[in-house]
Amino acid sequence: MKLFKNSSLFAAVLFSAVLFSCKSEDPVIENDEEVITDVTLKFTELDDSGNPVGDSFEFLASDPQGVELGTPTIETVTLDKGKTYRLDVLLYNSIANEDITEEVQEESDEHQFFFLGSAFTSNILTISYDDPSGELIGLQNTLTVSSSPGATATEMRVILRHDLDKSYPGANNPNFTNFAQAGGETDLDITFPIEIN
Amino acid sequence: MKYINLSTYTLIFILFGAFSAFGQKCELAIRGKILHQENNDPIEGAYIWVVESATGAVSDANGNFIVKELCQGNYNLTIQYLGHKEIRDTISLTSNNFNKTYRLEEESFELGGVEIHGHKLAVQTTTAVTALYGDDLLQARGESLGESLKRISGVTTFSTGNSISKPVIHGMHSNRIMILNNGIRLEGQQWGAEHAPEIDPFVADEITVIKGAETVRFGPEAMGGVILVNPAPLPTKKDPKTNFYFTGGSNGRMGNISISHANGSDKIKGLGYQVQASAKRAGNIQSPDYYQGNTGLSELNFSGSVGYSSQKLGIEGYYSYFNTTLGILRDSHTGNLDDLINIIENGRPFSDPGFTYDIINPKQVVSHHLAKIKSHYHLSDKWKLNFQYGFQANNRQEFDKRRGDLNTKPSLDLELFTNTLDLFLDHSLKNEWSGSFGINAIQQANSNIPGTGVTPLIPNYDMLNLGFYAIEKYSKGPLEIEGGLRFDTRTVQTARFVDSELQQADLSYNNFSAFIGGFYQISPKVTFNSNLGTAWRPPNVNELFSEGLHHGAAAVEIGDADLNSEKSLKWVNELEYDGGRTQLQLTAYANHISDYIYLNPTGDTYVSLRGTFNVYEYLQANAFFYGFDFSGSYVFTERLSGYAKGSIIRAKNTDADNYFPFIPSDRMDWGLSYQFGSLSNSKTNKFTLSNMLVAKQKREPDFDLAPAPDGYALFNISYQKQFELGKNKLNLGLQVQNLLNTSYKEYMNRFRYFTDDMGRNFLIKLNYQL
Repeated sequence: MKLFKNSSLFAAVLFSAVLFSCKSEDPVIENDEEVITDVTLKFTELDDSGNPVGDSFEFLASDPQGVELGTPTIETVTLDKGKTYRLDVLLYNSIANEDITEEVQEESDEHQFFFLGSAFTSNILTISYDDPSGELIGLQNTLTVSSSPGATATEMRVILRHDLDKSYPGANNPNFTNFAQAGGETDLDITFPIEIN
Repeated sequence: MKYINLSTYTLIFILFGAFSAFGQKCELAIRGKILHQENNDPIEGAYIWVVESATGAVSDANGNFIVKELCQGNYNLTIQYLGHKEIRDTISLTSNNFNKTYRLEEESFELGGVEIHGHKLAVQTTTAVTALYGDDLLQARGESLGESLKRISGVTTFSTGNSISKPVIHGMHSNRIMILNNGIRLEGQQWGAEHAPEIDPFVADEITVIKGAETVRFGPEAMGGVILVNPAPLPTKKDPKTNFYFTGGSNGRMGNISISHANGSDKIKGLGYQVQASAKRAGNIQSPDYYQGNTGLSELNFSGSVGYSSQKLGIEGYYSYFNTTLGILRDSHTGNLDDLINIIENGRPFSDPGFTYDIINPKQVVSHHLAKIKSHYHLSDKWKLNFQYGFQANNRQEFDKRRGDLNTKPSLDLELFTNTLDLFLDHSLKNEWSGSFGINAIQQANSNIPGTGVTPLIPNYDMLNLGFYAIEKYSKGPLEIEGGLRFDTRTVQTARFVDSELQQADLSYNNFSAFIGGFYQISPKVTFNSNLGTAWRPPNVNELFSEGLHHGAAAVEIGDADLNSEKSLKWVNELEYDGGRTQLQLTAYANHISDYIYLNPTGDTYVSLRGTFNVYEYLQANAFFYGFDFSGSYVFTERLSGYAKGSIIRAKNTDADNYFPFIPSDRMDWGLSYQFGSLSNSKTNKFTLSNMLVAKQKREPDFDLAPAPDGYALFNISYQKQFELGKNKLNLGLQVQNLLNTSYKEYMNRFRYFTDDMGRNFLIKLNYQL
């Protein structure tokens, strides 16, 4: 190749390649801020007039890796028949150490929980939104266990929707099965096993 | 007397025989070819004069000529063409096989640089080439690069909604084809299916598609073909030209303007410049039954170049800037597999927000800078040294619908710097031989910009590619043969954190590629070309290292760091007939690819608190693509003409004996045009009715989220008229696309899962030239 005989040219090529070359930046650890790693269902028993009774108790669903590594651990929720509870849903991101509950509360117009599954279809549980602000979010609810449940083992599916049309017909019902019709996307979809004592 | 008679007869016989023999000798012909010394273009209309016989010929569009009815002997030839040095040659004609190639050199620079001999191809190759320019390009103004190129048979698009479309050549797209912006290979984040090429089609005066494997000439990845987006050549003398374009579309209420201006210097000969800018704005696109939420776009582009050329030296600087903000259909962004299934079952978006120009999350914000310096120097009349350096900076930000402050942070923020350097030596040796030797360097640095709050999809990396190549071409008469060889070596270094641990990789790839091609002019009306070329593509960083959730697509994608380079062998043949009233172009090809990389559904799902996700992995298999394209037109009467074009592709995974996803289905487009006004007037005044027919893709992969949509037929009308306003020209175009407002889904649109395609669209296209 005639070209390489001309060493000054080749040197010029190498020189310009060195002159303009740029290096990639060193990688940085990025915390997944969007992920919800811990979902806690906090139950507080209520008396007939709606006042809390005794200590509250919690059940946790967690997935410390976010979506990366598969199966989350989900605790079995144990409830007593005939009782009414206040159900608080607490959300946490253990990767970025952030309380997500607050964020959802702040964006109450864009978020809403739906509660589905056999626990509701077979009338073992009934639920109503009871958020202090009066908005329909589902961070705080009133949940009643039937006094004569048809089964002792059942399931509750907790879904958090984001960016939905909250005024969509039927979306005011916490058991709204056609939640997808209201648009938006799912941030959480967890099925808790439930045991009734 | 009898004897005398006999001898007389014998004499007559002998004489007659001699005469007839002499007569045969005088049926010899001089054949030849006239090429341009500077750029190898054939020259049409050169005058060839044979002094002794006082006869001559004029070269045809391919530069070929023939002077007939010559006897054996020596002849003096003169070859003349306006503005070029006359060639005088003495030849000895002994047989009918005489054929010689002549190269004409420009005589004087003052006559205005390189003469344009009819339409000049942007690249000299023996492969199948089709270009979009002039009236055809005018009709495509206001469309994205991908959409514009659909006008070329064999080119389709792989799109994500109606604003993101990537060109597909013979079933290949993304990193398997190459796009050159004014000679520099466009280096953006082309690996992503939803990443449109970062280029403004208004930069182009001409868009050329090479359908062959052109790795030798252009470097790795040019496996399926090459797209050249070329501005008009810079003016070399004072000749101001301004073009103003406006395109308005009813669907999406789209407006697009562009202005370009070019001129040369009065004082310094050979100095010229060109500037161009365009802006585009569109809102939500309307399908026949609803608006597609958040499908607007906003684009702002600029380019400029300045150049100087003299007899020996040419130098040019070029800069282009591309900036776009694209809304992504809100409902296409799904949280998990259930969401995805729900919307696919619904067949259309759940929301119908009506019309707005507002663009919210999810969206993409992409900017691309490209700067280059190009120079050539004529070492002698046979050798030309070329230098080209390009710098590109690409920034891609993708915003997802997130919570609170995170909405203002991109989920993906990539910055890619690329340096490209080309140094090559062209030669046009005496007569038949021409070619090029060169080296090519590409250096690239890709970084994730911290602060996204999302684990990066691909690692940071540095890449260096060095290529060495040689191409040689032999042109004689109707035949051209071309061959080339290239060696590339590439190293890639990657780094990222996986679970807080630094993970690094050093990879290297080496490859030879080669091609051989030929062009033969069977008759003045018929030409044939054939090209056999190898190509290769190293695996992309996303194919090697993807690991995790592809946000919005409800898919977990897993790369494989041990993937090999893809290697292909493509054979393209093209037959062209240009018979005045009838024009026909047929292209047939076969492409065998070993280690073809594809994303395969594993059938597994990942379960998380967010729900479940499908898992995909990158695999390799042998693939075989083949098919043909056709395009033709026929002039029925002076006023009525018709055209038809179409393409058929077959692609198979030959290892698993199944089909790949997103291979274009069979399609054709045909139409009739009627010319109004007086026939002697050369100005356009034309009405066209066309019909696009697209078949259902029956060759579906084993797994797809939804079955292939049905075939469809669309009708379009257009009216094109040119007005002369003094020295200026106004081109008016009126178009209606999807005239019947048909609801349809295109298999090659990834959003077919979520929405119908675009409904009826009224367009007005103005071009004012002064």
